[in-house]
This record gives sequence, C-alpha cells and structure tokens, in this order.
Amino acid sequence: MLKSFAKASLLAAALSLPLSVGSVQAEEKKDFKVCWSIYVGWMPWGYLQDSGLIKKWADKYDINVEIVQINDYVESINQYTAGEYDGCSMTNMDALSIPAGGGVETTALIVGDYSNGNDGIILKDKTELADIKGQSVNLVELSVSHYLLARALDTVDLSERDLTVINTSDADMIAAYATSDVTSVVTWNPLLSEIEAQPNATKVFDSAGIPGEIIDIMMVNTETLADNPAFGKALVGAWYELMGIMSSEGDEGVAARTAMAEASGTNLPGYDAQLATTKMFYTPAEAVAFTNAPELPSTMKFVAEFLFDKGILGEGAPSPEFVGVSFPDGSIYGDKNNVKLRFDPSFMQMAADGAL
Amino acid sequence: MTGSPDIKLSVRGLEKSYDRTPILERVELDVESGSFCTIVGASGCGKSTFLRMLLSQELPTRGEILLDGHALPDEPTPDRGIVFQKYSVFSHLTVSENLILASELERAPFAGRLFGVKRRQAREEISELLQRIGLSAAADKYPAQLSGGMQQRLAIAQALAKKPSILLLDEPFGALDPGIRLDMHELLLGLWNELGMTIFMVTHDIHEAFKLGTRLLVFDKIRHDPQVPEAYGATITYDLPLATPLTELTQGPEQIASAIGLPGQSDKTNTMTS
Amino acid sequence: MRIINRKPSRLTALALGLLPFVATIIGYAIASHYRRLDNPADKLLPSLESIGQAFWRMAAIPDRRSGDLLLWVDTFDSLWRLGTGMAVSTLLALSLGIAIGFIPHVRSALAPYLATFSLIPPITILPILFITFGLGEMAKIALIVIGTAPVMIRSTAQAVLDIPREMIIKAETLGASVWQMTVRLVIPQVLPKMITALRMGLVPAWIFLISAEAIASTTGLGYRIFLVRRYLAMDVILPYVVWITLLAFLLDRALLLLSRRSFQWHHLGSDAL
Repeated sequence: MLKSFAKASLLAAALSLPLSVGSVQAEEKKDFKVCWSIYVGWMPWGYLQDSGLIKKWADKYDINVEIVQINDYVESINQYTAGEYDGCSMTNMDALSIPAGGGVETTALIVGDYSNGNDGIILKDKTELADIKGQSVNLVELSVSHYLLARALDTVDLSERDLTVINTSDADMIAAYATSDVTSVVTWNPLLSEIEAQPNATKVFDSAGIPGEIIDIMMVNTETLADNPAFGKALVGAWYELMGIMSSEGDEGVAARTAMAEASGTNLPGYDAQLATTKMFYTPAEAVAFTNAPELPSTMKFVAEFLFDKGILGEGAPSPEFVGVSFPDGSIYGDKNNVKLRFDPSFMQMAADGAL
Repeated sequence: MTGSPDIKLSVRGLEKSYDRTPILERVELDVESGSFCTIVGASGCGKSTFLRMLLSQELPTRGEILLDGHALPDEPTPDRGIVFQKYSVFSHLTVSENLILASELERAPFAGRLFGVKRRQAREEISELLQRIGLSAAADKYPAQLSGGMQQRLAIAQALAKKPSILLLDEPFGALDPGIRLDMHELLLGLWNELGMTIFMVTHDIHEAFKLGTRLLVFDKIRHDPQVPEAYGATITYDLPLATPLTELTQGPEQIASAIGLPGQSDKTNTMTS
Repeated sequence: MRIINRKPSRLTALALGLLPFVATIIGYAIASHYRRLDNPADKLLPSLESIGQAFWRMAAIPDRRSGDLLLWVDTFDSLWRLGTGMAVSTLLALSLGIAIGFIPHVRSALAPYLATFSLIPPITILPILFITFGLGEMAKIALIVIGTAPVMIRSTAQAVLDIPREMIIKAETLGASVWQMTVRLVIPQVLPKMITALRMGLVPAWIFLISAEAIASTTGLGYRIFLVRRYLAMDVILPYVVWITLLAFLLDRALLLLSRRSFQWHHLGSDAL
C-alpha cells in the first residue's frame, strides 16, 4: 500500500514537473521573453519587435529576446509572476502588489514614463471633485484608477467611506458611462479622453495632480537579470535607441510614432495627444535622475499603504512594510529581510554613459 | 337528411386524400343506433383514418358525416368517446384521478380541479366503477405502474365517463396478451349491453371482429391501377351483418381474411374459445 | 469474467468515484510543493494550507473595510441574481413555451423569431443591455434571462409538442376547454421536462452570472474572482471555484430530487439523468 502510494506520488511529481520548470530559473541562458500590453507608454515595445531593433541589440550580446504583446494587462503581469516571462511592463503599484507581493523578486529595469494626466476622474453634470461625495464611482477596483481616487480624495478631505466604489471592467467603461445610473468614473487613456469628450462630462482630477506617482516600468526578474546582464543591456540599449528616434520630429520619428499610433488603434494626432499627458523619459539621464530623486521612496510608501489598506499586499501582510522596496541610494522601505522590489538605475546609467 | 329515426350515423360520399393521394373514396354508410361495428382491412387501407374522421380528429376532404341527422362538429366533443391503443389515459394522473377528471372539468370550469368535500364526493362516485373494472386496489397507482390490460380497462372506463352515444376504439387490444384480450372482450360487451351506445372498433384481428361486432365493415381498394398503385383510395368492400350465427354466414373469417390479404389463422384459437 | 460484466460493489464504486478527486488534490499538492521550493510565496499554486486559510478568512473573518463576511455576502448576492434570473426564465418558458407549443397561431408568429433570437450570443449585446437596464442588478438578471430563456422556451414548446396527441384528443372528448387542458394536462406533463430544462439552463446561467458580475459590481462570487485576479490571489480564487462548483452541483441535485418527489409518475420508466 505504502509502496504503491509512493509510486503514485512519483508519477504525479513527474506529471507536475512541467509546471515548475517554467518558474524562476537562476542560471545563465540565451533565450528571453518579455511581455507588454497596450498603453501609450508601452507602444515602443511592440515597435522594437516589429522594427527588428531588439534583434539588432540581442544579436550584439549574442542572446535571443522575444517581445510578446498580451491583450490583457492583468493577465500579462500574472504570466510574468507565474514565471512564463522574464520581464513585463507594468506600473510601480502593480509591481509591488502582484510579483513582489507574490514573492517574485523584481527589478525596475527601465523607468519609461509616468502618468501626467493620463489617468483621471470624470463627473457627470458636476464640476468639482468634492461633489463626488455620496456618489457611486465606477472604476477598475484595485487598479491605478483606484489609487488615483484615493489620492484625490485626500486632497478634499474625503475618504472611500464617503462613496461607493463599483468595480467596472475597463472594456465596458464607455458603455457604462452612457447609462443614466453611472455618474462618475475613474479611468485611463484612451478611455479617459473618449469619455471626457461627452457634453456632460467634466474631468475634476487627473494624475497631473500627483505627478510621478503612477510610474510605468519594464520590470524584470531580479535573479535572471543578475545572472544575465546581457539581457538587461540588450533591452536598455534597444529601448533608448528607439527613444531617440521616437522623440525626433524627423521622418523616422514620425514613422515610428505613426506605427505605434496604428498599433494602439488611433492615429498620429491621437497618439501625440496621449503622449502629451504622459511624461516620457526619452533620455536615460532623465530616467536615472527620476529614479534617484528623493520623492520616489515617499511615493512607494503611499502605494504600499494604499495596497495594505485594500488588503492586497501579499498573503496575510501584517503591515504596509511587509514587502521591502530598495532604492538606488541603498535605503529600504519596509522589511529589510524581505526585499522583493528593487529600483536599480545601473543599466539605465550605462545607457546614459554610452557604455552599451 | 336521412329519414329513418333509428339511424345514428350516416356517411355520404366521403372522400379523404392527403396531398392529392386518395386514401378513402365513395364511402357510404348508415349505422343504426346501438350497433357494434367492427372495422377491418389491410394496413394503410384507411380504416384508422375513417375512425379519426368519426372523431373529428381529421376532417373529410369531400362528403359528409351526419350524427343524429346533423353534421359532425369540426373538433372532438364529449358525445364521442375514444380509446386508443396507447396514450389513452393521462400518465401524470393516478387511476382515480383519471376517472374523476371528467367530472372535475365539468364542475370546475376555471381550476379544472375539485378540492375538499367535492373531491371526496367525486371519488366516491367512481368507487363502483373502479370495482367494475377491477382497479379498486390500484386506485392510487399511476398508469405506468399498471399492466397493459389494466391501462386499457381504465381507458375504456374513462372514455365512457361523459356517457357518449358513440364509442370509438382504435385497435384498443392490439398490444395485449391473448388471455388478457378475452377479459377485455367480456368487459366491453358487458358495458355495451348495459349502456347501449353505438361502437366503432378498428381491429387487425379478424376473429375479434367477427366475435364482437354486430356488423363487420371491411375496407379495401376495389379499383387498381398497376402503373400508379396510389391512384385510388379504399372504400367499404364488405358490409356483413353478424347478428346471425356464424355458421349461416356465407363468408366466414377465413374468406374475408384471404380476400383482403390479412392473416386469418393466427389468433383463431384464442378468440374462438369463448 | 470479462471486464464489461464485472460490477463494482457499493464501496468499491464509492472509492473509484473518489479516486479522480483525490488524485487531483494530490497532484495539485505536489505541483504546489515544487513551485514553492523555488518561491515560498508563489501565488500561482498556493499550498492547500494557505488556500484553507484564505477560505476561512473569506468565510469567517469580517472584512476589514466593510465588516462583512465576504464569502456569504458574495454567495447570497450571486444566488439571489441567479435565482431571480432563472425564476424569470422559468416563467417565460412556461407561459411562452406553452403558448408556442399548444397554439398553432402563436407558434407561427413566435417560433421563427425565437429560433433566431436564441442564436444571438448574449455577451455581444451587453452595451444595449446596459443602456436599457442600467448597470445595476437589472442588467445582470437580464443577461441571465436573455442567455437562458430562449433555449428554455424552445425546449418547453418542444415538450408540449411531444405530449402524445392522443392525450389531447382524449381531453377534448372529456369536455376540457383550452384553459382546462392547459392547467390539467399541458402544465403537469411539461413541468418535469421544465425542471430538466432548468437544470440544463443553470449551466449557462452560472457563466452569464459570473460574466455579468465581472463587468460592473460591488459583490458576488464572480466579482470577487475577477477582483482578486488583479493580484493573482489564487488562494482565494481556487476555493471560490470549488465553492461555485459545489453550489452548482447541489442546486442540480436539489432540482433532481424535487422532480423525483413531485413528479413520481415521470420517473417511473427509465431514468436517464
């Protein structure tokens, strides 16, 4: 009986092995995969793959890098957290709650941009943020929209208790706004500008009011990066070459932005309008400066407290300091023995120094 | 139209076709009140169609059927009771519920159901009938729990609930065992003697037809077109009074059976014994 | 003896029935163990223990923010939506199904329309539902109704058509009016099949319920799953999935039992399901 049970367990283990090999691999390797989803600041990732720029840089370091678009943002982060991908584009907030909170050590490789008006709160038939009191607010719960709402409410001395949050899928946000029982929404671009264009809509707060707090970052697995610096170098090198092209007003820049615009379902003026509310770090020096700035630790503290308050900071987190976050100056927010999210500008610094 | 007062049912120039294929043609018939007409014929000869027209389940293509001198209504009515070979009783009602249904429908036009004292009363009214058909012990059973013979006894009793002047039977004993069939014959003849209704019974058993009926109607095709077998319909080819003893008849079961191509010998022993 | 002729005893049958379940749990535990060797905080396949803890947290510890026992609030709200939706569908199936199946003129008027309508994937008309019914409970119930009613109406109409013609004729010869035939013959004959239709309808109903709750909601089993999916809390999602499965199973069994109890006559013959 015992013997047959042992046999059965072995068999089960063998069957389940494929599930575990996909996870974090701390070793040198040649093939890497990163994923991204559609968002104004991440469209360059798709262009890097399509234009062959990433292949050029990967070849330079003698590795292979595949950049995969995933249609669902949360799903892309989940895939990364499950170990299917070596890197993924996400916000600082989701990086802390999903991979870092889930024990996957993650490093911010490329700090690409921050939302500077790309996320906003819209009221129907009302014009002041304080009017939101008592309303039902439709938003994607636990997303950056939720964070933005919490931060906005702070500014008018309200709290979430003063209103009702209704979790609403982003795909249905525009249709939801069209119904009479929806009076306020929090969402991001391009939905934001679409809803704002309705005659009775007023944007009463946007992320420009909390600059530098909603940060869009290429996050990579810390161990993979440590064992394979070439992976980091190839991604950073390719990214900043494209940033140079993209920010130029020359033909090449227009062509790149047009391609990104089309890939995100809009046209060049529409995409440029979205870029206007996005603070892109077109040069590595800007990104390094932002990462080194003293505001970043306090932003992450806000984020950690928000996540803790919502009960999503990892399994049974006893306090907002449960997950440690390290910063370039060596300081650490939270538990020093449980650092899972690292802001490390060293690869961006190499790009700034022209060392790639 | 028909003069004679004791003519219960008259059929005049009856024709029935489906999609221009004639099934029955030139059917003429006068049946006296209280007759027991048995109807036989090869399968597909239209004998069941004829019965369904007597029931107004189907309507004639041409011609008319007169009941007591008046045209038949266009749909089934309580003056003609029916027993089918299968599905004659309601499978969702117990034996006693099946039997009181008719009086429930009559007394409760909206609910179609009696409650309390009235329901008990209705149940008492049928206790004698239950005894008569031998189903007292099975009063609270569902039809699916009964044997085939018990189901058909119930069906006959239910069909007579509204005291119809005509009882139509469409191969009612076709699915029963021979022994059971004899019991059924007795029950049916007893009820007929007692109530005196006019009976039309379709059967594929020629001996049963001879045994039970006072009049035998044989349906068959008399006109044939070898090129187009469907060109003509069937009509009544033999119309025999059976009131006289069998031996005096010029045409017995075997002759009729062979004339219309029916198996005449098969059930002989069973039906002739009583 | 040939294997096709060997019948398991009651105990063996029970053990055999449990085997795939036990195997799944053991397989899961092993796979989870291996993943947690790499990363003790792995979220994809949490340990059975942390699943248990999460389930306990959802079921027995009041939520920090609202003070509610989330599992029960979610269950109650979801079952209320499901129940209301299915009640509406059942009433529609009974009234329209019987009218279509029993009255030829109604059948001619509605059957082709219904056949067409039932082919519309309900999710595709969601924006129309929102604008018609708003974002609240009405839209969710409407989605369940639109997703289940057409098929249930059609199967009820078919059940009416399947009543042996002989019984209807017999009722006519007993002097029944159309109304009396409806209440004494058609409805009783159709109800057990209606319950079967309801049991079949519950499968898509759950799917539509979960989808509706994923779109815009503040409570519900589907809401919770899609919410915690945002941080890959499989320790909450997995027990919720098991819970939903269990609820669906119990509902199905309860309906079967109800049918056996109430429509004994229907189950006298061979009983397939």
